[in-house]
Amino acid sequence: MLTAALFEGWRLAGLALVELAFGLAWSREGLHILRRPRFWTFVLSAAALGPFLVGEPDVLWGPFHLSREGLAAGLEMAGRAFTLMLAFGLGITELSLSNVTALFDRLGLRGLGFAVALAMNLLSTLREMATVTWQTIRLRGGMRRPLVSLRLFLITVIANTLGYGDEVVNAATVRAFDPNEGQPSSLPLRQADLWLAAALVVCSGLLLAL
Amino acid sequence: MSSYTVRDWVTIGLFGALWGAVEIVLGSYLHVIFPSQANTFLTGVLLGGIGVAVALTGRHFAPNKGSLFFIGVVTAILKLLSPSGAKAGPIVAILIEGALMEAVLWITRTERQWAFALAGALAVSWNLPHKFIMMRIMFGKDIVEVYTKMVRDGSQMLGLDVSAAWLILAILLLVRLIIGAIGGWSAWKLGSAVAHRLGQQKLAANETGR
Repeated sequence: MLTAALFEGWRLAGLALVELAFGLAWSREGLHILRRPRFWTFVLSAAALGPFLVGEPDVLWGPFHLSREGLAAGLEMAGRAFTLMLAFGLGITELSLSNVTALFDRLGLRGLGFAVALAMNLLSTLREMATVTWQTIRLRGGMRRPLVSLRLFLITVIANTLGYGDEVVNAATVRAFDPNEGQPSSLPLRQADLWLAAALVVCSGLLLAL
Repeated sequence: MSSYTVRDWVTIGLFGALWGAVEIVLGSYLHVIFPSQANTFLTGVLLGGIGVAVALTGRHFAPNKGSLFFIGVVTAILKLLSPSGAKAGPIVAILIEGALMEAVLWITRTERQWAFALAGALAVSWNLPHKFIMMRIMFGKDIVEVYTKMVRDGSQMLGLDVSAAWLILAILLLVRLIIGAIGGWSAWKLGSAVAHRLGQQKLAANETGR
């Protein structure tokens, strides 16, 4: 168990180092995740809970009965969580709304890109609509009948959202926007993309072989 | 995709934003209260139930094949781009829930109340295998460990003995199925109520000559 944990630990440490080097070289903003207390709480809680939850307790430490097997498993879990979350964080730092919209456009899903952009811009409006609706219901004494108020709240928010949608449809129609028209812009493949694709294939092969 | 009009994409964006708002606001709040290592039963069921209700209400207004899946895609991207949403688990869950709801309505080839309830039930029931898969990916836990922890948590929650493991798992699955079915059922009712209200608004607007 210990040997397995050490072997897994070395692999995870190697992967974490590669990710950190990548972040330092190309995506320093992505490393900001390491400054978040919530990230460390999540990672360290996996290590801290392991000795209590996994395996049979075989060590007495003060008032606690701990498991060495659980400690090894907890550290491995924390390592996996650290590397996965860091990789995910590094990946999405470079992702922006315009990138997503452009990607869908290139894939021939212009409408989906439009929907994503609309949804992103709607979030703040939605909060305002929900607040106004809730306050209106509350001021009219809706709290006396909570279930009826909840139903009224949901119906009003959805109806108002659809009303907002009508305005968006009209604006898009006036601008002659058609999600099915127009050729998707081509996706230029550069030499660096081919190198990246080759590296990913090799890494995937190595991971499967190991 | 050529059957999709601007209005369809707008509706997909609107309901993606509604589901996204629930995931970002309520999801972040619940994930702070119940971290991933703790029992996530309540978080998954609550978010899943509300999510399927919102998405299926959206299907009422964008009755095209694939719209539920696209609502899921929009929601997943919103969650991905939100400041607190850089977590793989909820994003995978949202995408699979959207795909499952779409699959059920595609297989049943009908848009009736029972089909909505079935779609909701199956989508929320995904939370059970999701736990096994994500724990395996994130923490490298094997199925037996996740199963043991799930049974232990379930026995504490339901007040049953750990030896009744299958009964505990069956109850946990049944609760998910029921909540999902209620979500789907409510979505049908909510969609009809909103459509009725919008119809009344249009009628009033025509009568006043607006």
